[in-house]
Amino acid sequence: MIGRVIAIALNTFREAIRNKILYGVLAAVIGLNIFAVVLGAMSLAEEARIARDVGLAGVSLFGAMTAIILGVSLLYAEIQRRTIHVILAKPIWRHEFVLGKYAGMAVTLTLLVFAFAVALALMLWVTGYGFDENVAKAVALGWLEVMLVAAIAIFFSSFSTPFLSGIFTFAIFFIGRSSKELEYAANKAKDPVLRVIGKGALYVIPDLHLFAVSGGEVDGKAVSVHATFVPWAYVGHAALYAFAVAAVLLVLAIVVFSRRDFS
Amino acid sequence: MADTVLAVENLSKEYRTSFRRKRVRAVEGASFAVERGEIFGFVGPNGAGKTTTIRTLMGLIRPTAGRCVIFGEEVPAPGARSRLGFLPESPYFYDYLTPRELVDLSGRLFGLDRATRHRRAEELIARVGLADAADRPLRKFSKGMLQRAGLAQALVNNPELVVLDEPMSGLDPIGRKEVRDLILWLREAGKTVFFSTHILPDVEAICDRVAIIAAGKIQEVGQVGSLLDESLVGTEIVVRLRPEQSLDGKLPDGVTVRDRSPEDVTLFAGPRVDVTDLLVGLAAAARIVSVVPRRDTLEEVFLRTTREAKS
Repeated sequence: MIGRVIAIALNTFREAIRNKILYGVLAAVIGLNIFAVVLGAMSLAEEARIARDVGLAGVSLFGAMTAIILGVSLLYAEIQRRTIHVILAKPIWRHEFVLGKYAGMAVTLTLLVFAFAVALALMLWVTGYGFDENVAKAVALGWLEVMLVAAIAIFFSSFSTPFLSGIFTFAIFFIGRSSKELEYAANKAKDPVLRVIGKGALYVIPDLHLFAVSGGEVDGKAVSVHATFVPWAYVGHAALYAFAVAAVLLVLAIVVFSRRDFS
Repeated sequence: MADTVLAVENLSKEYRTSFRRKRVRAVEGASFAVERGEIFGFVGPNGAGKTTTIRTLMGLIRPTAGRCVIFGEEVPAPGARSRLGFLPESPYFYDYLTPRELVDLSGRLFGLDRATRHRRAEELIARVGLADAADRPLRKFSKGMLQRAGLAQALVNNPELVVLDEPMSGLDPIGRKEVRDLILWLREAGKTVFFSTHILPDVEAICDRVAIIAAGKIQEVGQVGSLLDESLVGTEIVVRLRPEQSLDGKLPDGVTVRDRSPEDVTLFAGPRVDVTDLLVGLAAAARIVSVVPRRDTLEEVFLRTTREAKS
């Protein structure tokens, strides 16, 4: 089984790195880091804060956007282009195919986030602000979020078109990032129906706010990448959450994909 | 006892249309079996149910009723799939791959080790005539070249059974000849070949047995020769009259004069006429120049069967 999953993963990785969009995203992130330096220089004694914030936002947002772009067509394109006919006629189970596709995308996105982090580190090093432990934790959280967004995208891709999957995944990303605001709104809602819908959404939609906590509160304490940030234990818990939710989404994608006819 | 490699048993497949959810029956109660070592043609017009049947065989779609069995294992069964090679209709491959990478990927999925994959890739790419293009991306390939690359990936595991869906479709005469030669080469190598097509001269030239499918139902299954034997439409006899002789009043019922030249007379005897008796009867008045049985071509059998299925 492992050999077949690796074969699909390697092929998915090969497809991604031969995709010019990826290099465009990388160029955009490098550009954003340069922009962060310029923006920092224009600010009043906030150079370090702006450089870090803009750089980390680039890692997180561009990583998530790339996960959505690559993920939404991951399974659908195979069906639409009928490349899947050649693959599934081989001695491979459908769950192995889905796992291989996700693994290939995960490797691609990991390397991409690593490249983003290197660009950020270079920018911080050139400007003299340093790539400290807090930034490393924030990058790790950003990477976990990207892995989870990729699983959301692949889940939608198992039954929907890339366009709709893109809309659904982006909506989940947006709502998941706003989970604190959604929780507040649900608690304050006077209409019981709205309250139930809001609370239900909190259970169903992955809590992506967990991965972007800088500037917010954790366990009642303010956390910031510029001052006191979350401990590594928090990153560990966030990793467990990300991989558990991703596993559930992959199982759902496998169930849907296994029941499909490829005509 | 015949060694059945592939069996389709009472297979039916029903689809629902996207919007109106109307039921469409693509295949209905299809049954046939392919024996080891034969070239089996699966013949039918476009939309007859050939591709649906093949995709069901490959486990890509689930039957509504009935079942498919490959090497004694019910589809879908990866165990059986490890012993077969498949080339889909109008194959779409990852166009960023080269033929070498495509064959390698295929070999990985069959669990072949690196050395075997490398050796098989070299052998097969050369065998299908793509040695000069082995490192060129597939997106730059013509349809015929893609078909050949597809054959190479289908054969990487040295399969016992090769399933080809419309392998000659869209190819020029030279391409068709190459694919025909490859199929014959596979038979010589002891493989069983099951292929669908609507190009009948190819079937007539290379198949041992055929199944004709029309409107989702199997209409005929049999050896190409016996299908053609059953389709005798008459016998054409050319005779040269002896001096002072004529055929007037000497022709039995069912025999007509087709052509008359100063020297020869061409007769046509219907399928029920006893040709031996006729020849004996004619011998006194004429010398027999030629006797040619006239049969439907497979194309005519096919068209008649298809017409009957539609009516």
